Amino acid sequence: MLDIIRDNWLLLLVGQYPTGPLGGLVLTLILSVMGLLLSFPISIGIALCRTSPIRFLYVSSTVLVYIVRGVPLVMFVFWGYFLVPILVGHSVTAFTTLICTLIVYESAYLSEVVRAGIQALPKGQVEASRALGMGYWKTNLWVVMPQALYNMVPSIISQFVSIIKETSIGYVISVQELTFSANQVNNNLLTRPFPVFLILAITYFIVCFVLTQCAQHLERTITRKRSPKMTQLRSIANDSVLEGQ
Amino acid sequence: MIQFSKVNKWYGEYQALTDVTAEVKKGEVVVICGPSGSGKSTLIRTVNRLEEIKSGVICVNGQDIHAPGLRINDFRSGIGFVFQSFNLFPHLSVSENVCLAPVRVSGRSKREAREHAAALLDRVGLAHKANAYPQQLSGGQQQRVAIARALAMNPPVMLFDEPTSALDPEMVGEVLNVMKSLARDGMTMVCVTHEMGFAREVSDRVWFMDRGVILEENAPEAFFTAPQHARSKAFLSDLRAH
Amino acid sequence: MLGRLDFSAIFAGPFAHLLVSGAIKTFELTATSWTLAVGLGVVLAVLRASGFPIATKAVAAFVAYHQNVPMLVQILLWYFGVPTLLPDAAQTWINAHDGELIFASIAVGLCMSAYFSEDLRSGLRSVHHGQQEAARSLGLSFFGTMRYVTLPQAIRNALPTFINHTVLLFKNTSLAMTIGAAEMTYVVREIENETFRTFEAYAVATLFYLAVSLGLMGLGALVEKRIQNQAR
Repeated sequence: MLDIIRDNWLLLLVGQYPTGPLGGLVLTLILSVMGLLLSFPISIGIALCRTSPIRFLYVSSTVLVYIVRGVPLVMFVFWGYFLVPILVGHSVTAFTTLICTLIVYESAYLSEVVRAGIQALPKGQVEASRALGMGYWKTNLWVVMPQALYNMVPSIISQFVSIIKETSIGYVISVQELTFSANQVNNNLLTRPFPVFLILAITYFIVCFVLTQCAQHLERTITRKRSPKMTQLRSIANDSVLEGQ
Repeated sequence: MIQFSKVNKWYGEYQALTDVTAEVKKGEVVVICGPSGSGKSTLIRTVNRLEEIKSGVICVNGQDIHAPGLRINDFRSGIGFVFQSFNLFPHLSVSENVCLAPVRVSGRSKREAREHAAALLDRVGLAHKANAYPQQLSGGQQQRVAIARALAMNPPVMLFDEPTSALDPEMVGEVLNVMKSLARDGMTMVCVTHEMGFAREVSDRVWFMDRGVILEENAPEAFFTAPQHARSKAFLSDLRAH
Repeated sequence: MLGRLDFSAIFAGPFAHLLVSGAIKTFELTATSWTLAVGLGVVLAVLRASGFPIATKAVAAFVAYHQNVPMLVQILLWYFGVPTLLPDAAQTWINAHDGELIFASIAVGLCMSAYFSEDLRSGLRSVHHGQQEAARSLGLSFFGTMRYVTLPQAIRNALPTFINHTVLLFKNTSLAMTIGAAEMTYVVREIENETFRTFEAYAVATLFYLAVSLGLMGLGALVEKRIQNQAR
């Protein structure tokens, strides 16, 4: 198994770069970071709609989230592959399709995390802020969001881990991320699928496990700083996170 | 300063406030007392519209607070509110808690707000805690910060919703002292409280509420020594029994 | 574009039958992997709760692996990797007996067993220690306490997350298409290839998944309500 790593580590790390497009583990991480950063603002918007007193916003955002929760990621990827070129007007790379799909998918799941964070805040915080004369937007900007997001950092990291795992779906539409690259190695070697895929699994494991440990460490730190109620309500957020994959 | 005129409120089938009509004059200190469930907290929360009303009029400084279409945020900063559970913002320091509304609502500069906050914190005896965080303070200290925070917007009237009920007994005094000094400085105050000593010492009038109605209204001495209504008598004797 | 939709094309001829077989395959996959996941999940949770350090560490490692490796990769490892470790006779047998179903079920089942065991574990942890103390002082044994006091409450507390993970398991069966299992997603892609009616084909699959997922969530809500009422 070590000889496979020794011979193919470059392909697994960066794909065909520099003779081809960037791929491998680096592409996986780029996809994941982009997915998180781009879906984050959208997820905050959806979470605000989900907690909004305006009925139209509440219903439409709830429908969106339930659709995403009810349909497999693979189906979304195929929809993206079909719809994105139509919406944009010209053909797009598989990378673009994957990013668009991930953003839509992740915004919905991440919004559940943010929503749990918002609802975990004691009602008194909003009341105190409103009693001082701060309106809806000011209250959210200066009182609700800073606290909700800080409390939800461990859950957001867990969701990031889910995104990393979800990027493996790029294999299906030939995005050259880590899983696809490992498959290429397997196709080259042909007779040693088990070690190749085991290396693939271990690579994901190391990356995701380290991040999960960071999240758990942060969770302990934050719990020490805030009230115990947060732990109970953050576990609700974690439930929606683990749905991601 | 505050006028209640035939105020009614329902929670579903349950009538929380029934035809409440009363007035708080400028500079007056009014204490609202009564058994739990009497509607005292509900009444005080309708003043800055944390609770809605079904019918009736509530005027604060001449403005009908429950007028439909009213931009309530503009008027809330003119009404100081102190909560039973303090509700300080844990992610901000003490000074930042006090400065938040002046900076973000009134648009004052941060330097100006900080100086004003320092003066207010000094007034409540917590100047040395300006950079501490709420979690590092005792309950009594947190409530005093909450009072400073409400004062930061220079409201003409201050509302207190059971400000000492969540405090350990030894910290009640420090908060009451701040409230007494405010009263002596001429602040218009409405306090829902069980602290009868405070009521006797600084209030101008006591309202006794039971089941959503103001049953009795009197000067404190008169109320405590010679309650008129049967239920006020029962309430006061229950209090004295402890 | 909407005016030119033609759903009849994808229901015509052999395609209707194909859709049905795809749905059936999805349900088969769901049933087998769910059974494996629940059974193994309970065993893992009990092992972990037993307190023996070897058991606890082994279960923790199992859970950590399955929660940190993508499900797709687990399926690929099982389907492409594991058979090469087996003797030839076994490989022939597997190929003759729907190897895709077998390995996809194993992969999904093992992965979700990790999640289910964690659900049960947090369910068990959520039951106050005082409950067990009370039961033991009444004279109940360890297993009696488990059976009559702890587990019923643990299951009630774990139910919402458990339902969510069941829906997740159902959705994850779609990944079996990558190894050629003829479940719904795979079938719909075939139909799309033949008829070029991409929107209609995908819409049918999407509605199928949505209906079952929402149905499962609704069923879960019903069960939860029933249990809440019993508790009163």
